[in-house]
Amino acid sequence: MSLSGELKRRLQMLFHRGRFQSDLDEEMRLHVDLRREQQMAAGADAETARRAALKRFGNPTRLREESQRAWGWEWLETLLQDAGYGLRFMARTPGVTAIALLSLALGIGANTAIFSFLNAVMLRSLPVKNPQQLVKLGVGDSAGITDSFASTDLYSYPFYREFRRRNAVFSDTAATFSMTNSVHGFVDEQSEPQPLQVQTVSGNFFQTLGVGAQRGRVLDDADDSSEGDHPVVVISDRFWKRDLGGDPGVLHHTLRLGDVVYQIVGVAPPEFFGTVVGELPDAWAPLSMAGVIPPHWGADKNDFSESLYIIGRLKPGVSVTQATADTNVLFKAILLSFPDARLSKDNLADLNHAHVQLESMERGLSDLRSEYSEPLKILMGIVALVLLIACANIANLLLARSTARARELAVRQALGAGRMRIIRQLLTESLLLAIAGGALGIAFAAGANRVLLRMISQGRQTIPLDVSVNPRLLAFTCAVTVGTALLFGTLPALRATRLQLTENLKSGRGGSAGSRRTPLARILVVAQVAISLLLTVGACLFQRTLINLSHVSTGFNPDHVLTLRIDSDAKGFKDKDPRETALFKEIEARVEALPGVQAASFSAFRFEEGSWNTSMRVPDRQLSRDVNVKHNIIGNDYLRVMQIPLIEGRTFGAQDTGTSQRVAIISEQMARDLFPAGSVIGRTYTIGSADDGDTPVQIQVIGVARDVKFGGLTEPVQYIDYMPYTQREWGFGDFEVRYSGDLGAVSKEVQDAIRSIDPTLPISDVETLGEQVARSYTNETLIAELSAFFALVAVFLSCIGIYGVMSYLVGRRTGEIGIRMALGARRSAVAWQVMREIAMLVAAGIAIGLPAALAGGRLTGKLLYGVSGTDPVSLAAGVAILIAAGLLAGYLPARRASRIDPLTALRYE
Amino acid sequence: MTALIRRKAAADKSRDEIPPGTLYLLILKTLAARGRLHGYEIAEAILSCSDEVLQVEEGSLYPALQRMLIQGWATAEWGVTAGNRRARYYTLTLAGKRQLGLEISQFERVMGAIVRVLETA
Repeated sequence: MSLSGELKRRLQMLFHRGRFQSDLDEEMRLHVDLRREQQMAAGADAETARRAALKRFGNPTRLREESQRAWGWEWLETLLQDAGYGLRFMARTPGVTAIALLSLALGIGANTAIFSFLNAVMLRSLPVKNPQQLVKLGVGDSAGITDSFASTDLYSYPFYREFRRRNAVFSDTAATFSMTNSVHGFVDEQSEPQPLQVQTVSGNFFQTLGVGAQRGRVLDDADDSSEGDHPVVVISDRFWKRDLGGDPGVLHHTLRLGDVVYQIVGVAPPEFFGTVVGELPDAWAPLSMAGVIPPHWGADKNDFSESLYIIGRLKPGVSVTQATADTNVLFKAILLSFPDARLSKDNLADLNHAHVQLESMERGLSDLRSEYSEPLKILMGIVALVLLIACANIANLLLARSTARARELAVRQALGAGRMRIIRQLLTESLLLAIAGGALGIAFAAGANRVLLRMISQGRQTIPLDVSVNPRLLAFTCAVTVGTALLFGTLPALRATRLQLTENLKSGRGGSAGSRRTPLARILVVAQVAISLLLTVGACLFQRTLINLSHVSTGFNPDHVLTLRIDSDAKGFKDKDPRETALFKEIEARVEALPGVQAASFSAFRFEEGSWNTSMRVPDRQLSRDVNVKHNIIGNDYLRVMQIPLIEGRTFGAQDTGTSQRVAIISEQMARDLFPAGSVIGRTYTIGSADDGDTPVQIQVIGVARDVKFGGLTEPVQYIDYMPYTQREWGFGDFEVRYSGDLGAVSKEVQDAIRSIDPTLPISDVETLGEQVARSYTNETLIAELSAFFALVAVFLSCIGIYGVMSYLVGRRTGEIGIRMALGARRSAVAWQVMREIAMLVAAGIAIGLPAALAGGRLTGKLLYGVSGTDPVSLAAGVAILIAAGLLAGYLPARRASRIDPLTALRYE
Repeated sequence: MTALIRRKAAADKSRDEIPPGTLYLLILKTLAARGRLHGYEIAEAILSCSDEVLQVEEGSLYPALQRMLIQGWATAEWGVTAGNRRARYYTLTLAGKRQLGLEISQFERVMGAIVRVLETA
């Protein structure tokens, strides 16, 4: 209380300091007057009385200053003074100021932009109650999951119910379906389908997270109490605002998914995006409805289906270790207690090895995190180096400027300005520059963020990721800005005040000792060159990676293939509905009949779309359960559309029907490894096992196809089999068309043809196979493009650095050069002398930068493809670029040196 | 340019500088004893109360008074002197009275210690 009172009084004094000053003056004047009158009354004459009064009072100027210091605002006044002075100085050298501001804005902006991604993807907590108490059962990423008996990542619904009831370490546990349902839904009676992401969650999902509704209610346990009869959804704020126009009567609206109409019971808070960073479901539905929401994922609620993530909130005081122990005991007990547990030897071994680890859910789940944390860290490193170069540049500019100001500073020091005072002034100027640069940087970052987000999203819907400016980001930017100011402001300031006064007072231009007196400037240039080399080599490595990736053979021909998705689930077909197969056949036939279309086919997967994989058994061979084959369900013409060569056997035809022998085409590698002896045609294998609760299916091989990339460009060769959709139903999405001629025209005709068959079929994601393949190395493209951009910036800044320092040196040595020339030195010799100096600086930079680049190359190893971190081509290219840039930057000062007129130069001396 | 500022006036032999740190104590005590005073009156009061022994560099009262205002130990208001001149009058606040108590006990502790040292010697 007293402190705030004091602050209030201080602030009053700050805002009314004119009045306080005049009050003080009047008071002191009165005092002296009264003393003088008292002395005169005691008999002194007027002059003696005045002197005595003044003497007894003391030095009024000093006292006034002391009183002002008492107010505690002296620093502010000098700061304003310094800032004003700094602004005037910046305005007087607009060129230098512009370059400094630009490089700062770029450096700080890039750092802020990358950090905002880093923050959103890796650092930020979920916007829920006490997120640090949340854990998830299991730490595996979804790609590594096989069909083991005892999955420690995905759980069944009955397991979840048991676990929730019996555990003693969590205050509550919730379950979410591991995938988001991409469905087409209809708001109210509308006939236009909306593409929607629906997340199915346990009834207590929102309570467990501690999230309430901004309107209506959230889901509750009752919504998840019995199967299939709770058609309610909570919608996201985005969906409410975008598709319902933020209608306050939102609770009167309904949403139809498949053939069920759902009541909208609430709207989630604006900041809530569920549990996965980088995803934002449009609606959350209770798991009780999972069976009827297309594409009917999670319908299967048997004891051993593996489909749910389980999230728990630790009870206060329960440690993670304790919770892990409890969870594991319960995990085994529950699995063993299920009456339908098939306790074969393999399954028991699985169970024995299984260990459930708890992963913190504080920051949510994220595919983005595993995908982008490495690139983001590398990019953060790159932009930090760019900032360092920018700082070195500015330090150099200021250094040159402060040397030019040496005389002015010497005069000020001679007039009694303290060293600290001058340093403070120079630092204030740097800070001013840094703050202006930081402000520009934030503006730049805001724009850069949008561009980056688009680059990452690559043609798909923009990833819902909040990369806006937040307190953590602001703190980061402020720290960077202030750090920058200190970094580039301190050195010039310290140097400027260490100069010998007399020498600087004598002449603005020193003698010939110039070169010896600028070691700092040279060190900065060398450092710039070294860092630039590091960035240039890195950029070359990433470019080569990108080139390598774009030349990876996919096994299929991605050119001239139009791809799109059709959501047949929106029609509300039930499983194994023959109408669905008939619809697919009709679409394929109609589209293939179009002019400009060579072939068209549906498929379950295309490229990098996940997989359905199982273990398999081959007669007379013992295969490990780890041998997994990836299945693709396709139309008859799929191989023709993709131009995957058939090596042996035949493709599917009319003879392969729902009742005929199950057949498959298998990949080359699979044939070679699993059926080594003799021709594979006609041999059989079995997928699905009673152990896993599936009906085993025996399949006969009818063909062998060339190996293709399935899950990504860099994956090793996979075992893949293709099965016809006439024998294995699949709620399709993918449709591929091989065409010739104009993409736009074909695309329109294909969509029209599909609509003419059924106008209500939702068509989405119309693009080309080439785009889809390119998207698989978005990461590498992003890094290659950004690293190239930043390397260019770095080289450019280094050039400016070299140019600045050399111009300055040439300027200082005008006299010396003049004498040399007067004594007969040739112009070319003078130019060579300057160039030689530049070459030395660049060579020194390269000598330091090369080992750093070699070391750095090792760090980036994980992000490279087909090129090692110590790639000699990249190193050579980096060195060549820097030498060229250095010589280019040095050319102008060298030419200027060679054109010095000896007469003019000597007149200065 | 040579500095023409004399650094320190010769001390008046008949008067002693006040011990450092006791200026607040003197001002607080004076205000507590006499109520509402302006700066000159405070200086005069200190001088007369101490039988003209304690001399305050009179101007140094003012920075001290400014600090006391900020600390909230005293408030100030403008008034008119007996000679009909405008003067700023200072009054002690409750916080100022508390501070006086603190300063007195601190001073007595220090003085007591010094006296004990002198007596044992």
